[in-house]
Amino acid sequence: MASVFERPSLVFGVAIALRAFLLVYGAWQDAHSAVKYTDIDYMVFTDAARYVSKGASPYARDTYRYTPLLAWMLLPTSWDGFFSFGKVLFALSDVVAGWLIAKALMSFYGMSPPRALKYASVWLLNPMVANISTRGSSEGLLCVLVIALLWAVLNRRITLAGVLLGLSVHFKIYPFIYGPSIIWWLDEEREGLKPPSQKKSPEQEDRSLFTHIFNFVTPSRLLLTTTALATFSGLNISMYILYDFPFAQHTYLHHLTRIDHRHNFSPYSSLLYLSAAGDVQGSFESLAFIPQLLLSVIVIPIVLAKRSLPGAMLAQTFAFVTFNKVCTSQYFLWYLIFLPFYLPFSSLMKNPRLGITATALWVIAQALWLQQGYYLEFLGLSSFVPGLFLASLCFFAVNIWILGIIIDDIALMGS
Amino acid sequence: MRRRITFVQRPETPFSLDQAVVSPDALAVHGIDGAREERATFSVDELPEELSEVLKQCHQLHVRWASERRYDAVAPFSSRVSPGLHVFYTPTDGWSEDNKLKSLCVLLKRTFDYGLKCKSPEESFITPPILSTRFASTAAFQYHSLLPSLDNLVAYIENKICSSSDEQCFRYATSIKTADSIDINYDSMSHSLTVLGYWSQPPENGWTDEIRKHDAGTDQVEVGLLGTETATEPEEIKVGGLLAVVGKDDQLSMLHSGLLSAFGVANGYGTDDSRAEPTLFSFPSRHHSLPDDATYSISFTSPTGLHPTMTISMPPSSLNPPPAPPDATCALHTYLTLPSTIFGDKYQLSTTDPLFLDSHNLVSLRAVAGETDLEAPDWFVSRWGSNWLLELATPAESDQVPAEWNVTIPLHLRYLRPSESGYRPAPVPWPVVFWACTAEGGTKMGVNPFDRVNLGWEGLFGPRTMFYQLHPSSDRLVEELEVPVLQLDENGFFQSKAIELGTMIIIGLGSLWVLWKLGTIAWSSGTQTQRRSTKQKKSE
Repeated sequence: MASVFERPSLVFGVAIALRAFLLVYGAWQDAHSAVKYTDIDYMVFTDAARYVSKGASPYARDTYRYTPLLAWMLLPTSWDGFFSFGKVLFALSDVVAGWLIAKALMSFYGMSPPRALKYASVWLLNPMVANISTRGSSEGLLCVLVIALLWAVLNRRITLAGVLLGLSVHFKIYPFIYGPSIIWWLDEEREGLKPPSQKKSPEQEDRSLFTHIFNFVTPSRLLLTTTALATFSGLNISMYILYDFPFAQHTYLHHLTRIDHRHNFSPYSSLLYLSAAGDVQGSFESLAFIPQLLLSVIVIPIVLAKRSLPGAMLAQTFAFVTFNKVCTSQYFLWYLIFLPFYLPFSSLMKNPRLGITATALWVIAQALWLQQGYYLEFLGLSSFVPGLFLASLCFFAVNIWILGIIIDDIALMGS
Repeated sequence: MRRRITFVQRPETPFSLDQAVVSPDALAVHGIDGAREERATFSVDELPEELSEVLKQCHQLHVRWASERRYDAVAPFSSRVSPGLHVFYTPTDGWSEDNKLKSLCVLLKRTFDYGLKCKSPEESFITPPILSTRFASTAAFQYHSLLPSLDNLVAYIENKICSSSDEQCFRYATSIKTADSIDINYDSMSHSLTVLGYWSQPPENGWTDEIRKHDAGTDQVEVGLLGTETATEPEEIKVGGLLAVVGKDDQLSMLHSGLLSAFGVANGYGTDDSRAEPTLFSFPSRHHSLPDDATYSISFTSPTGLHPTMTISMPPSSLNPPPAPPDATCALHTYLTLPSTIFGDKYQLSTTDPLFLDSHNLVSLRAVAGETDLEAPDWFVSRWGSNWLLELATPAESDQVPAEWNVTIPLHLRYLRPSESGYRPAPVPWPVVFWACTAEGGTKMGVNPFDRVNLGWEGLFGPRTMFYQLHPSSDRLVEELEVPVLQLDENGFFQSKAIELGTMIIIGLGSLWVLWKLGTIAWSSGTQTQRRSTKQKKSE
């Protein structure tokens, strides 16, 4: 098995062949069965692209909740015979993301190429990843942006990193959580050189607070923040000028005002159903963003970013998805992309029993939920409570336990 | 008020002369076996003010109500709508003032049902059609609600329209309770309101009634005793029989009719002056009936889950092309009236993928109007629901016609509010299924004294289209679906408080645990750096 990873061409060849096979198979299934391989979201993207090709707004398509950039990028899908263009693009993004992972592992973790490829294969040869992108889900595109962002930061290409951060937040809000950890991480070199400060008199303390703030604002932090903000607002302003309110409504505001609380993996799902129907006195659900943002935007970056930036990003994403008010299986891809940076140092790998237990619990909790979901969706049984409610809380508990292990491991990585 | 009463007998039904007796101020009918249509026309100033006030804001208002019980739609009353209350409304210019908008809903609630989900036409009505590949329908706003009985309307008429001494008015009001369908038409051109009732079956001993001329003597009361015959032209309907204006004609005019030929002996009945006029009474008709065995039935594949599939089942006799003119092209259609609890995915249904369409025996989605949001729960949907016109496939000529031809339509349920049992009912009215035939030339249908338009579906076709209605084959034309919802048993363990507290505790514990982990890391690293720095100091 080790010999396979000696040859990058073989690994990438297999990764590409896997996706090419799935693309061809998908086209075959679509042409021969009334049950389609292609994801419903892909129909949304391509419909939107068709609207754009006719000079209309992509938001003319219901449930198009993405940046117009995506519809523009998929314009070729509106040409005859190019329907699968987007899937090819998404699948290629996957492979590029895998390549960037391998490159980053080699240059920043000092891994040998075969070892780097072995861990990159967690993404590259992952059938779930290949399946999602060849069915036409755009997550692969976002993942390549996020991994490129990480690569750029680790390479100290700050301007590029800022642009990528701004672009990926424009694409899908959640990558904004990486801003704090990157900014916190960026001053590592300076902070490490400074001698620890002595006990000071109160006036001196005031001054040192000021100097602390002053020292915090480094050129690279400023550069990252400004380029990211400039890219983000530049894109949003241009899109707003082009598509007006529907752009703001469907891309961003929808997430604040969404009313579709269909059952999903989130622990909030039952509560949101109740409160949307007006059956809850309290307004706990409106505070749901507090634990989510406190952990993923403030505490995890501060505690972990300087120990391992990729590790912190993994923990942030994991916390963000676990505490999110809506959670579907495509969100798992958001943290899956960081696994190659974490697994080499993970106690889940060092202690196989722990690793297997964690994986098994993660899968079983999902399976339990899916079973209840099946009862509801297909058999029409009222399985909201206790079935789905308890299953989603179980899944949450398993995720929290795994998040704890990840945090412990990352703490050890840095020390 | 002008009245027109029409009795239509089936060709095989016996009729004898003494069943209709004319006197100077009345016509007495006795034991007539057949369908009955009653039509009353009011001028606006005859109506109570609350009604005429609303009508003044209408450019057009058409109400259609059909019973949930199965009934026969006999020629020339062959058209059908889905069971329930349908309202088609076009406001006059400058309608946008608030009180105007609300008043129609207030009136509908007062007359039909206080429970109607109707706030204002702008909020509760739909604007048809948003995706029509064919023709624009006429009314600007459209509304539907299931309405099992007209008791409320009867009470309204008794209280607001009948004067307390008018026994005949009360009798007619009560008769509405047994009607199979009711039409109400108003348009601002004629300034008159027409109410039509249709009864497909006579009471137990036939229709027995003394139809009197109006006391005021001004407005006419017309009576027709008719029977249908085979027309010579396929687009026409031919009727024959007797017509009379009560109190004006002192005899029944006779129309040439095989059915009523026995009546020929009684020429000049009740008068000295006999004026038999053998007349053919033929007219082109938009709606035609099909043989009794052209039926369909509706069912939902069990278990329905959250994505029920509606099945339209038809025997081979329903698939025979209708007897339309030879140059006409005919296609089988269905028109769905779906309450907001259930909806179709317009993107899924408007596909041109032959695999999908063939697997459901569909040809294409022709028009859709109304609530097609794919995600919103029912309580966020303000409008009543949606309408869908679908063209259906029929077996290819080379195929053997199966014993039962099934068309399936994939649908989806919205989230409904929690309930104590964990389920909520979602009644779905049966759609209408019909053949639509378009001929190149075609005739104008307006000259038909029984023409019926503003049904929702007919406006989606060209004006010269002919329709052949299939007969529903079940006694009740509403399917009840059971929608699983969140169960809130206020006596059980899983009350809303339990869900709220449970979520809160688990999230709180989870957050605290992660924070504690992060805290110990930060603290231990803090002590480490301190230790390191004290070490450094010592070494210095």
